[in-house]
Amino acid sequence: MSAVLQQLVSQPYQHGFVTDIEAETAPRGLSEDVIRLISSKKQEPDWLLEFRLQAYRHWLTLRAPQWQNVSHPPIDFQDIIYYSAPKPKKQLASMDEVDPELLRTFEKLGVPMSERAALAGVAVDVIFDSVSVATTYKKKLADVGIVFCSISEAVREHPELVRRYLGSVVPSGDNYYAALNSAVFTDGSFVYIPKGVKCPMDLSTYFRINTQDSGQFERTLIIADDDATVSYLEGCTAPRFDTNQLHAAVVELVALERADIKYSTVQNWYAGDENGVGGIYNFVTKRGLCQGANSRISWTQVETGSAITWKYPSCVLQGEGSSGEFYSVALTNHHQQADTGTKMIHIGRNTRSKIVSKGISAGQSSNSYRGQVKIGPRATGARNFSQCDSMLIGDRCSASTFPYITVQNTASTVEHEATTSKIGEEQLFYFAQRGIDAEQAVSMIINGFCRDVFIHLPMEFAVEATKLLGLKLEGSVG
Amino acid sequence: MAVVPDIAGGERASQPFAALGEGPSRAPAAWVSALVSRARDALPRLSLPTTGEEAWRFTDLSGLARESWRPVVSPGAVDAAAVDALLIDEARASRLVFIDGVYSPGFSDTRGIGDGLGVAPLAQALRADESGVRAQLGRLVGGDVDLFSALNTAALGEAAVVNVARGARGRAPIHLLFIGTDRAPASAVQPRLLLLAGEHSAVTVIEEYVSLGEGRGFTNAVTEAVIGENAELSHIRLQGEGAAAWHVGRVAVELARDARYAGVCIASGARLSRLDLAVRLGAPGARATVDGLALLDGRQHADSHTLLDHASADATSRQLYKSVCDGASHSVFDGRIVVRRDAQRTDSAQQSRGLLLSARAQINAKPQLEIFADDVKAAHGATVGQLDADELFYLQSRGMPAAQARRLLTYAFAAEVVERVPVRSLVQRLRARILERTGLATVETGR
Repeated sequence: MSAVLQQLVSQPYQHGFVTDIEAETAPRGLSEDVIRLISSKKQEPDWLLEFRLQAYRHWLTLRAPQWQNVSHPPIDFQDIIYYSAPKPKKQLASMDEVDPELLRTFEKLGVPMSERAALAGVAVDVIFDSVSVATTYKKKLADVGIVFCSISEAVREHPELVRRYLGSVVPSGDNYYAALNSAVFTDGSFVYIPKGVKCPMDLSTYFRINTQDSGQFERTLIIADDDATVSYLEGCTAPRFDTNQLHAAVVELVALERADIKYSTVQNWYAGDENGVGGIYNFVTKRGLCQGANSRISWTQVETGSAITWKYPSCVLQGEGSSGEFYSVALTNHHQQADTGTKMIHIGRNTRSKIVSKGISAGQSSNSYRGQVKIGPRATGARNFSQCDSMLIGDRCSASTFPYITVQNTASTVEHEATTSKIGEEQLFYFAQRGIDAEQAVSMIINGFCRDVFIHLPMEFAVEATKLLGLKLEGSVG
Repeated sequence: MAVVPDIAGGERASQPFAALGEGPSRAPAAWVSALVSRARDALPRLSLPTTGEEAWRFTDLSGLARESWRPVVSPGAVDAAAVDALLIDEARASRLVFIDGVYSPGFSDTRGIGDGLGVAPLAQALRADESGVRAQLGRLVGGDVDLFSALNTAALGEAAVVNVARGARGRAPIHLLFIGTDRAPASAVQPRLLLLAGEHSAVTVIEEYVSLGEGRGFTNAVTEAVIGENAELSHIRLQGEGAAAWHVGRVAVELARDARYAGVCIASGARLSRLDLAVRLGAPGARATVDGLALLDGRQHADSHTLLDHASADATSRQLYKSVCDGASHSVFDGRIVVRRDAQRTDSAQQSRGLLLSARAQINAKPQLEIFADDVKAAHGATVGQLDADELFYLQSRGMPAAQARRLLTYAFAAEVVERVPVRSLVQRLRARILERTGLATVETGR
């Protein structure tokens, strides 16, 4: 590979800054007292406190998993601040009342609320360090009966829904980090789309980790009732810190009869510097339950940030004829590590799933696809297709593929394909011949490689993702 | 030849494998004893793998541990006609036969092996070329990594050795036949094979395990194959033990520069069988083809773990693994391809295909790619499914009854692997076995 390309990948992280907002924080460490404090701060009902405590007690009995293809120093869970919230301000009626400091933060991210809100009518539920401070377009959504609010608010306003569905897809004892999240989650989004409603706009949340050393434990719950349709966008950036920050979120999706949920993520958290110092640990449990017949859940993710990305957005295909989709681009550079993929659990008859995963590794990074496709004994007529392609840029990185296929039903078909490739000299030469420099050529080749995934992203995200990949790879191709 | 005595102490009988680690009665050389004692020393810290371990996640050995296994005291009696029926025409004069793990000179015949080839039990092989054997025995499979290879090494008193001299070419395929009889209950045999192909040599070796009877017993086999520069080894491993047998096997292959390995492993027997096959492509120009077939029915369980280790640049590997599961059988395929740092210009392709014939059967496939170099062609594909509806329809439209069409397609599916066996009469025998399994034995198949 040419030396020119080698220089193209090292653009520094542009979103590295700390906004100084007075935060109310819990003491460092984790104990039942801290959980009680979080619960009382958020004025939660007893059943939720009980849910948290149960999860915490279960978590104490668990050991951190070892099977993953990522390595990191042991996490000191007693050295994390589990609750930090901006001081409560008076209730906000409009955007004008939002803390100007906060708005400026979004300006710096290049996503001004005003512009974003105007753009295609996206409603933004701003999560700023654990507590929602502004929710836009709420009224318009409320008119059609959609609930889109922070999960804390949902606990207060719609306790029956939260109680019924919280932990129904990812039980509190599901895994080590899900148990931790269940015990200490501080905020996140809640969406309920009533029967027959097609959500009039894409719903979006902009997450942002602020306050050094505060791990974030979001909890997102999206319920689409019979015949409902919703598209949800999640985008992430984080300020530049050298201390590793743990992010252990849980996302639960529930799709009832004929409901359709599309969940898109662009993740660009701080990945650490070229030497692998700092960066976010992104350990997330995302799972959707296609509970109703002919329901559909689609995950699309573009993972470019974080020191470690470790997540498997999954679908449990329970309803007859339900379908699950997973489209993923994971890019790692420098010392980043990614172990990501999906699980498609076919339970119901005639369930379908499709997996398209594109992994790009550069620098000294490690990028793994890990996926499970399970066809249960009753999933007659189930169908799966998986395609996992890896691209390696440079000879110090690695790409691995670990698909697990379990089939317990004869009348079903599972297909898995994986390939590995690199950006060829010939391809670059061809571009050079036509006067396109290496940097642009690489960007175009990568975009072509990822096209199957990008076409499933909402428009704004697709544009952002394309730019992001180009930016991330600058200096690493050579 | 060494007869492994029964030295299981009564007080140890509660431990499933304790009696197997007691060591052979006598070793053919002092350095073999050293190998044995290293393995014996390792035994206390090695335990039976559980389903909690990733490599054994789908294969439960707890049933194996319910017995207290003992080495075979003396081989069971066999009927000469029964043995004769097992022989392969091309290899009638190039065969070693082991009854219950014990070398049987009476049933063996090595007159037709040709010049430059040594095919002999261990003691005899040592007399012919001690330094060559010493350099390789126990090198690829030491006795201190996992329980089964440690047990096998701890009992190393006998082995089947194929030693091909530089430039020699085998005239006939070599048949290493391991026959189990229904001897005393809970008896275990631990065959050991060493295949050495010298530079520029070529040889075909058939490693076969069969049972006369139900096959009650435990086979724990280890094969080491070292292929020299520009040499070629064709290795056919057939596991067709009886329905009651437990079979654990390990094959380790190492290829030098421009060496070729063509392996075909077919598992159709045993109640539970596990094969760990590791091929190390250690030098440029090496080429490995590793094919496999599991043909299962009833409550059979077959687990095949393969590793193609591209440790050098410019090596090529190809793999096709198929499984056919009927009844309540369970097939596991874990195929790992590792391309190490600087193994540039590697070309590797793997295909695994599973065919489920019954609603109670299960297939687990886990093809894995781990790539640490960038100028690499690596691909794998895996499918699990049923017979193609269009193909069935096509045959039916030509007047073939549905049941027969299904059998024919099943036969064709499995036969693809069998056709890769380079020994003609063996191909015919294996075809017949598939026909019998698929219930097509009475149907004319056109060849």
